[in-house]
Amino acid sequence: MIMTKEMQFKMIAAQYCKVKPEEMENSMRFREDLGFSSLDFMAFLGELEDTFDVELEEEDALQVLTVGEALELMERLQQEA
Amino acid sequence: MGKLIRDILEESEKKYAETAAVRWLQKKEICERSYDGVMKNAASVRKGLLAEGFSGKHIALIGTSSVEWIECYLGIITGKAVAVPLDAGLPAEDLTDLINRADCEGLFLSPRNKALLSAVGESCPRLKKVWLLQEEEPETADGRTASCTELKAASVRAGLTDERPGSEDVATIIFTSGTTGKSKGVMLTQNNLASNVEAVDYTTEPGSTVLSVLPIHHAFCLVMDWLKGFSLGVTVCINDSFLHMVKNMSVFKPKVMLMVPLMVEMIYKKLAGADPAIPGPVLARKVFGGNLRIIFTGGAHLDPFYIEKFAKLGVAVYEGYGMSECSPVISSNTEEEHRAGSVGRPLSNVELAFEDGEILVKGSSVMKGYYRMPQETAETLKDGWLHTGDKGYLDEDGFLFINGRVKNLIILSNGENISPEEIENKLALNALVGEVIVTGENNGLTARIYPDQDVIAGKGLNEEAVKAALQEFLDQYNKNQPTYRQITGLIVRKNPFIKSSTGKIRRQEAE
Repeated sequence: MIMTKEMQFKMIAAQYCKVKPEEMENSMRFREDLGFSSLDFMAFLGELEDTFDVELEEEDALQVLTVGEALELMERLQQEA
Repeated sequence: MGKLIRDILEESEKKYAETAAVRWLQKKEICERSYDGVMKNAASVRKGLLAEGFSGKHIALIGTSSVEWIECYLGIITGKAVAVPLDAGLPAEDLTDLINRADCEGLFLSPRNKALLSAVGESCPRLKKVWLLQEEEPETADGRTASCTELKAASVRAGLTDERPGSEDVATIIFTSGTTGKSKGVMLTQNNLASNVEAVDYTTEPGSTVLSVLPIHHAFCLVMDWLKGFSLGVTVCINDSFLHMVKNMSVFKPKVMLMVPLMVEMIYKKLAGADPAIPGPVLARKVFGGNLRIIFTGGAHLDPFYIEKFAKLGVAVYEGYGMSECSPVISSNTEEEHRAGSVGRPLSNVELAFEDGEILVKGSSVMKGYYRMPQETAETLKDGWLHTGDKGYLDEDGFLFINGRVKNLIILSNGENISPEEIENKLALNALVGEVIVTGENNGLTARIYPDQDVIAGKGLNEEAVKAALQEFLDQYNKNQPTYRQITGLIVRKNPFIKSSTGKIRRQEAE
């Protein structure tokens, strides 16, 4: 089975919260809806960097609030790479 | 006669000259500098400052951890100048305010924070010079900005007599959050710092690696990772970003780490979320890097649950207690003597007393006072006893337990102290905000706002529109704040807060 990027992304996110990947919606906020601490969020982004082979700037990353916004950012960075 | 940080460092320079003092990542390469190299650079900075007329002056540092940052810090405090480390994540207006309030005349600035140059140019009239860390040639030709290389070059000027500070001289001013809404500059002397370094009871063989993950402007990181680390001859490895903390544990393979409870919790989540088929020791090696033996935590309370879980994976977690005002460690669990749930026994240079349950501290690590705040100093330091604002007790074996705070400070589990009044004052500037209280919940900050009824009526806003307008305002506010000061929750109140007879909101009844 080939896993979509989105599913891969949500499986990593699920390690840091109690929401299952399949129940994760793009409109969900990391802090408020998924219960990420600020540090969970940073560590999660670090894992995304490794998995999707992109480099994130902390400043850009801090503007991200929702699952959908993070997915868009990854998509954009992968295209730029 | 007290000791100087310089005495400790000179001893280390002799004993560990060839050992790596600092290791860091540049792109993907691991770079390192020896004790000899770091101490020589620090001496050049010290002499450069002397040559340029900065002896006895206050000098700020803004930037995240780097070998240049620590060399310049040591350059300042091994001479007669006073170092003022500031949080690089603060908004420009807060940083310029702190530079002015601390009477800083020089500033070491990381090139990443170069955007600040115009703000300090406009708002900090006392500031005579800005030296850029990690850059050869500054692009700006304003006559005030120079590079560290130029400063070090000035050190060879003839006729200089190297100066040593006195042990009771102020070495550093560290800003902490205050309950009055204004952060306070904690003045720590040479002897305060040196005695804390010596009294903390832990040792490890020279060349052991420590991964430094906390912000370097924090007393806990600065004194324990760096100054204590250098006194033991350890190699301090720099974590370049929180993004890479877990990865960097595999890169640098640390033996010891200082953390705040939030980090311990995050690592535990990763361990617990891993595939159960992976055997414990393999998992531990993967997550901890393979060499980790000790984690010291402080800054906020750690649930003993984690201590037990980590012990099963071969990593001892020792909780301690401290505050900037005590340079900073007051008590700590150690390899030999520890008790889960307690913050350890008081250090050998510390005396404890209790007043209505509040912990009072006396000893050689207790600060000289708050900079230019005589009233706040008098309220905190009485007859040599520092009033911590924390409640606690000693058990019959002399272990300290903390069971509450007297002050309004909110402590998040990332160890950041938040003064709610400071944030409330800013939020109250919005016309729609009638009354506001900020509280700490679920590791984040929540703003409880009673909207201004006249503004609502004037604009004809319904409940939903009020909430949306307030959320938009908070999102805007958050953009300029470091993550730990961002408001993550909003509760719109239908009724005003209960007030005391003097018209102040009764904070304890706000929730």
